[in-house]
Amino acid sequence: MKQWFNSGKPWIWLTAGSVSISLIAVIGLLVLIGWRGLSFFWPTAIHEMEVRANDGSVSTIIGEVYDTETIPLERLRESGVELANYDEETLERWLIKVGNREYVPLDFTWVLAPQIVRDETPADLAKLERSKDGNFYGYVVDVLENGESVAHGENVREVLEQRIERVVELNEQAADLQDSEIGAINYQLNELRLERRALELEGELTEAEKARIAAEEEQLRQDYQVLEDKLFALREQASRDAVVMRDMRGAEVTLPMYRMLAVYYPNDMNILEKIGHFFGQIGNFVSENPREANTEGGVFPAIFGTVFMVLLMSVIVTPFGVVAAIYLHEYAGKNAVTRLIRIAVINLAGVPSIVYGVFGLGFFVYMVGGSLDQIFYPEALPSPTFGTPGVMWAAITLAILTLPVVIVSTEEGLSRIPSTLREGSLALGATKAETLWRIIIPMASPAIMTGLILAVARAAGEVAPLMLVGVVKSAPMLPVDGNFPYFHLDRKFMHLGFHIYDVGFQSPNVEAARPLVYATSFLLVTVIVGLNLTAIGVRNHLREKYRSLEH
Amino acid sequence: MISVTPTNQQTESLDLDNLTAEQTAMEIRNLNLHYGDAQALYDISMAIPKNRVTAFIGPSGCGKSTLLRCINRMNDLVEICKVNGQIRLHDKNIYDKDVDVAELRRRVGMVFQRPNPFPKSIYENVVYGMRLQGVNDRRTLDEVVERSLKGAALWDEVKDRLNASAFGLSGGQQQRLVIARAIAIEPEVLLLDEPTSALDPISTLTIEELITELKEKYTVVIVTHNMQQAARVSDQTAFMYMGKLIEYADTNTLFTTPTQKQTEDYITGRYG
Repeated sequence: MKQWFNSGKPWIWLTAGSVSISLIAVIGLLVLIGWRGLSFFWPTAIHEMEVRANDGSVSTIIGEVYDTETIPLERLRESGVELANYDEETLERWLIKVGNREYVPLDFTWVLAPQIVRDETPADLAKLERSKDGNFYGYVVDVLENGESVAHGENVREVLEQRIERVVELNEQAADLQDSEIGAINYQLNELRLERRALELEGELTEAEKARIAAEEEQLRQDYQVLEDKLFALREQASRDAVVMRDMRGAEVTLPMYRMLAVYYPNDMNILEKIGHFFGQIGNFVSENPREANTEGGVFPAIFGTVFMVLLMSVIVTPFGVVAAIYLHEYAGKNAVTRLIRIAVINLAGVPSIVYGVFGLGFFVYMVGGSLDQIFYPEALPSPTFGTPGVMWAAITLAILTLPVVIVSTEEGLSRIPSTLREGSLALGATKAETLWRIIIPMASPAIMTGLILAVARAAGEVAPLMLVGVVKSAPMLPVDGNFPYFHLDRKFMHLGFHIYDVGFQSPNVEAARPLVYATSFLLVTVIVGLNLTAIGVRNHLREKYRSLEH
Repeated sequence: MISVTPTNQQTESLDLDNLTAEQTAMEIRNLNLHYGDAQALYDISMAIPKNRVTAFIGPSGCGKSTLLRCINRMNDLVEICKVNGQIRLHDKNIYDKDVDVAELRRRVGMVFQRPNPFPKSIYENVVYGMRLQGVNDRRTLDEVVERSLKGAALWDEVKDRLNASAFGLSGGQQQRLVIARAIAIEPEVLLLDEPTSALDPISTLTIEELITELKEKYTVVIVTHNMQQAARVSDQTAFMYMGKLIEYADTNTLFTTPTQKQTEDYITGRYG
């Protein structure tokens, strides 16, 4: 035993064991959120079931099985539900998403498995995705154009498909028109309003200026009128058609076509169609805007906001961190003060992130932003421009949060460069600054990238400080658009981390939101891994380039 | 007992104590150097003749490298190092306050013990000093690269891969590249700090041949712990011991008829 102990084997087992546990934990986490997140996009069957209630009445339920759980009968009895002819100790109950939000009080319902008397998945059952009121489940009966029936029996699917495509196309045109051209006019009108106010404040609002601005405004209004007419025409066309559906109550309802996004017949799909649908849904999820208070649709603005904010942060933190590290390592005297500063910098990394958020709000947003507004944007006051949380303040706050990481790893990199290279450069008549620029910093760049990788990993996952300095539940506009100056750093933005919190905890529809929480988490991890892999790729490239012989 | 016979017979001998101004490249006067409280060099005075190879020999820790690094003020990098005395280049003390150290190092180049090419291409390594001086004209740089690499006997080996990384060269080639880099900016004096100690015998031989060629254009000062090497390449040799200059004479004289007991002990291998 003692010999075995001295052989060092237990040590190997201990170390290997810790590695295994870490690996299992990481892989388990990824598999869990990946599975629960991605299975959301897989087309599940739509069930049509008959449920016999205790009083003997039979009702039909159409919907997707969202979840199943096993509960003890005891608990059911306690809540006052009695089951006839059932004496097992536990029973299953199913959570069914029945959709049709405007016709039923709740779009989710629990069904007790023993009460189901009939359960089928008819191929004709359709799932309609809509931009409002969520999904609709039912049978397609007819398609109407201007109130007249245009589909007859067999071809109703084809007709519906075509009509939905047409509507989607029209809606897209309308949205484009609204976002780009009408958006641009609104933006310019606002700019003109600010210009007039600015002139007024400076006391230079002459009659001529007034007339010029009024004329420009008039011109814009006319343009706007034209575009608005175009928009209304598009909407008019989109609302031409309607679809008649039979829902689970057996009633035929007419649904306006302009809200439709897509129609599926999941019970009628083969495996290839299901795979196609799966990837199509994932594509929609990452490329579309959220709908229905974030419980439906995609998360594109959140992805964009996350990546944009992290990139902006990198652009800010890298030069600052590198310059600070260079001073500490190359120029600062090797004395107690330097050591104290270094310790302080390292300890900054341990400050809770919410504290940075509070600091960012108090210092950047209110003090710096407020002063900027008074100096540069007095015409917009009292509505703040930079004196309110926005993507720039979020990026700066996170830059400060991640500064220690960049400083520490840059210093590490600087100290690893062999002094012979430094001397070689100096011996050729280079000054210290020239040596730094031409030799030292390029050679330290892999270490700088390592710092940046750590910074990005930390910043992309940070939520708490962002809630104070710029993240919102739903941002009407991206921080980048086609209006000069294209980057609008004063705007608020959406963020995947906050999106998870918002969908998971602030959502009006908890059941609908749960899979989205997993899907968004998985996406956030993917985005961070993607950002990191990019940075690691760059670092490895640099490392290869500056690999010196002995190191 | 090692017998060392000087083989470098080509140059006539000089009177090292009474060099004329034209014959002198640099002159060291009463140089003392302290590392903190410890004194490393004691009252060193010597004249380094122009277009000759001067070797510093001595046992490890005798201060020969320290003295060499004083000549282009490389010791400035060591914070605790304090220098008293003078080193004169063109009758100007290089330790004067108004001396531009970068400019001094352009005129007094240095090659180190281990090859230290920059992580750049061969071409960029050679033109590094030129670029520092703001020379970016492609044709000028091309000429400099060819001239320097030829001067360092490396041109034929690398002329087809000037844009390849300098790290791809062998140790001996790297050391010659570093010499090419140093002579690209046409220094007056070239300091070599044990330039062959990290190299194999064949590379060493190439570099030694190169050194004898270099003295036609440059004044060369070489530190070596290899007495045979000093005997082979140098015209005059300074023997140092415990921070003191014990004997400084023509290489032939020093190795055949040393006047000091310590010198004789060292070159006959009794210590060191």
